[in-house]
Amino acid sequence: MKDIFFDLSVRSVKLNFMRSLLASIGIVIGVVAISSMGMLGTNMQLIVKNQLTAGINTIVITSDVVRSEPGSFGTPTTGITESELNDIRDMAGTNKVIPIDRTNTQFSIGSNDGRGSIMGLDLTDMKSIMNVSEGSTPRGESDAIVGATIASRFNLKIGTRIKIGEPNISVTRPVVRVVGILPTIGMSSSNGINTDNAIIVSDTWYSAQYGGDKVWDQVNVNLNDVSTLSAVETAIGNKVNRNKEVVRISDASSRVTSVSSTLSSLTTFILAIGSISLLVAATSIFNVMMMSVSERVQEIGILLSIGTEKGEVRRMFLYEAFILGIIGAIIGGIMSIVIGYSVVSAMIGNTAYFFLPESIIYVPAGMLIGVVICVASGVYPAWKASNMDPIEALRAE
Amino acid sequence: MSEVPLIRLADVTKVYHLESGDFVALDHVSLDIMENEFVAIMGPSGSGKSTMMNQLGILDVPTSGNLFINGKNVAAMTNLERTHMRRDTIGYIFQNFYLIPLLSAYENVEYPLILKYKRRDTSGKAAAILKSVGFDEKLSAHRPTQLSGGQQQRVAIARALVNDPKILLCDEPTGNLDRKTGFQTMDILTGLHKEGKTVILVTHDPKIAEYAHRTIQLEDGKVVAS
Ligand SMILES: Nc1ncnc2c1ncn2[C@@H]1O[C@H](COP(=O)(O)OP(=O)(O)OP(=O)(O)O)[C@@H](O)[C@H]1O
Ligand SMILES: [Mg+2]
Repeated sequence: MKDIFFDLSVRSVKLNFMRSLLASIGIVIGVVAISSMGMLGTNMQLIVKNQLTAGINTIVITSDVVRSEPGSFGTPTTGITESELNDIRDMAGTNKVIPIDRTNTQFSIGSNDGRGSIMGLDLTDMKSIMNVSEGSTPRGESDAIVGATIASRFNLKIGTRIKIGEPNISVTRPVVRVVGILPTIGMSSSNGINTDNAIIVSDTWYSAQYGGDKVWDQVNVNLNDVSTLSAVETAIGNKVNRNKEVVRISDASSRVTSVSSTLSSLTTFILAIGSISLLVAATSIFNVMMMSVSERVQEIGILLSIGTEKGEVRRMFLYEAFILGIIGAIIGGIMSIVIGYSVVSAMIGNTAYFFLPESIIYVPAGMLIGVVICVASGVYPAWKASNMDPIEALRAE
Repeated sequence: MSEVPLIRLADVTKVYHLESGDFVALDHVSLDIMENEFVAIMGPSGSGKSTMMNQLGILDVPTSGNLFINGKNVAAMTNLERTHMRRDTIGYIFQNFYLIPLLSAYENVEYPLILKYKRRDTSGKAAAILKSVGFDEKLSAHRPTQLSGGQQQRVAIARALVNDPKILLCDEPTGNLDRKTGFQTMDILTGLHKEGKTVILVTHDPKIAEYAHRTIQLEDGKVVAS
C-alpha cells in the first residue's frame, strides 16, 4: 500500500532539497561521531584486553599456612610439599606444572652490591618456559640467567660472575655465572613469572644454598587453554584444600576485569561526547521541521478543512522527519565505516578488531540512534501542525 | 423532501474575542435549510457570511446556540466525528480554490477518497469526476500552479464531489474568475443541484445569486431576509 502522506512528505523533502540536505548533514555528523567514537573505544578495549589475557593463562599456587614441623622448635617451614605438588600435577592434567623456589637476596657484582629475587627452577622447565634474548639457558649447576632490569643496571654480560648473599668479609659467598639474559617482560608475562629483577638458577643449586629440597614456594600451572582456567582452579582447590585451606590459588583475571571496567567507562565517556553532536543534530532537525510546518500552514489548513484527521497530519510530518533521518543515517553509516577505520588505525594503529561484531555494531547502532533522534525531534512540530485551527491556517500566507 | 431540515441553526451566535473587545460576527441567527435547496447568502463585506459558512462547514463551533447537521448536534460531536463529517457529508469550494500544492490535479481529487477508504483509488472514480469537469489524463497530471484559475476551480469542484457529499458549501466560488468562467462554474453547480445536492453559496454578485432559489441576506451578523 502506498501511503499518500508518505508521498506528500517525500515531495516536501524534494521541494526543499537544499534545506533537507543541510538538516541531514547534522544527522550524518551525529551518526559518524557516535559510531566512530564507539568503535574507537571498543577497539582500544579489545586490544588491551587481549594483551592482558596473554598472562591470564597462568594459575599461581602459593602456600597458605605457616607449618610447624611437629617436635621441632626451629624456624617453621612454609611452602608446598611434594604430596601437594603431586596432587596439583594430577589435577593439572596435560597443562605444564612448574614448581618454583624463590626468595629475596643481596648480591655483588665486582664491587657493586645489589638486591633482587633469586629463583630456583628445574633445568628442563627453565628451558621450556624461558626465552633468553642473549646467551643460552643454564646447563651446569652454577649457571644462571638474569632478568633485563638487573642486566642493564649492573651492565651484565655473558660470563659475568655474581656473588650471592650478604657481603661479609669472613664468609666466602657462592658464585653463579651468567649464561643468558632475558628480554624485558613488564606487566604481561606470558608464563606468570616476572623475571625482570630476578636471578634464575637451577633448583639443585638453590636447594644446596637455601635448603627446602622437597618444598616449593610457588607452583605455576600454565594452561594450554585459557577457557579451562576456573575448571582447573576448582579441581586443584578441591583436591589440595580438601581438608583445610593449605594453598592459595590465584590468577590475573581480576586484574583484567578491573582494567576492562576502567576502559569501558572510558568508552562510555567518549560516547557521551559523541552524543553531544547528536544533540546538535536534533536541534537542526527540529528547526527544519518547524520551518516546514510554518511554511505549509495554508496547506495544513486545506488538509484539515477537507477532513484529514489530526493523526494523519501528524503522520505526514513524522514521515518527513523519518525521511531526513534515513538519508542522514545512510550517508552517516557509510561515512562511519570509512572515518571510523581511519580513526582507529591512526589512533590505535591496529585495525585487527575493527570488523568484529562488538566493534562494527556501532555503525547500525549509530544509524538507529540517528533516525530515532530525528523522528523524536519531529514530534513537537508534527503535534503543532495537527492542532492548528483550520480557519486560521487557511487564512495564512 | 423530508420534514427534518438538513441544516438547522438555532440562535447561533459567534463572538470573536479581540483585544479591542468582543466582536459579534453572528448575532442570534436561526434558520433552517432543507435537503436539495439552492441557497445564496448575500450581504456587505464583514457582515458575517464567511463566519456563517465556517459554522455550516463545522470548521468552527458556535459561541452559543445550536447547530444541527443531518439531525446531529455539532457541539455534541467529538473532534474526530466532526472531521469525518467534513470528509463525508460536506464538499467545500473556496474562492481561493485551496488545492494541495504538492499534489497533481488527479491526486487532489483522489485525496478525499484516500482519506475515506485509507487506500489509493482503484475504482476510477477520481478520473471519471475529473473527466466530467473537462479534465483529460494529461491535464490531470498538472500541479495546481500549472493550471488557470478556472481550471483550478473545476479541480476544486471535482475534489468536493468525489466523496458524494450531501452539502456543497461554496464561499464566493466565482470571486476569482472572469464572468464567463464564473457562469460556467454556476452551470456546473446548477447541474449538481438538479442531481440532488444541497448547494449553499456566498456571493456579492446579484447575477450569480439569481441561480439560487432562495437568498439569505446578512447584515452585521443578523439575518435580515431569508
Ligand atoms: N478570526 C477572526 N478573528 C476576529 N475577527 C474576525 C475573525 N474572522 C472574522 N472576523 C470578523 O468578523 C466579521 C465578519 O467576517 P466575515 O469574514 O464573516 O465577513 P464576510 O461577510 O465574509 O466578508 P467578505 O464579504 O469581505 O468576505 C468581520 O468584521 C471580521 O473582521
Ligand atoms: Mg467572506
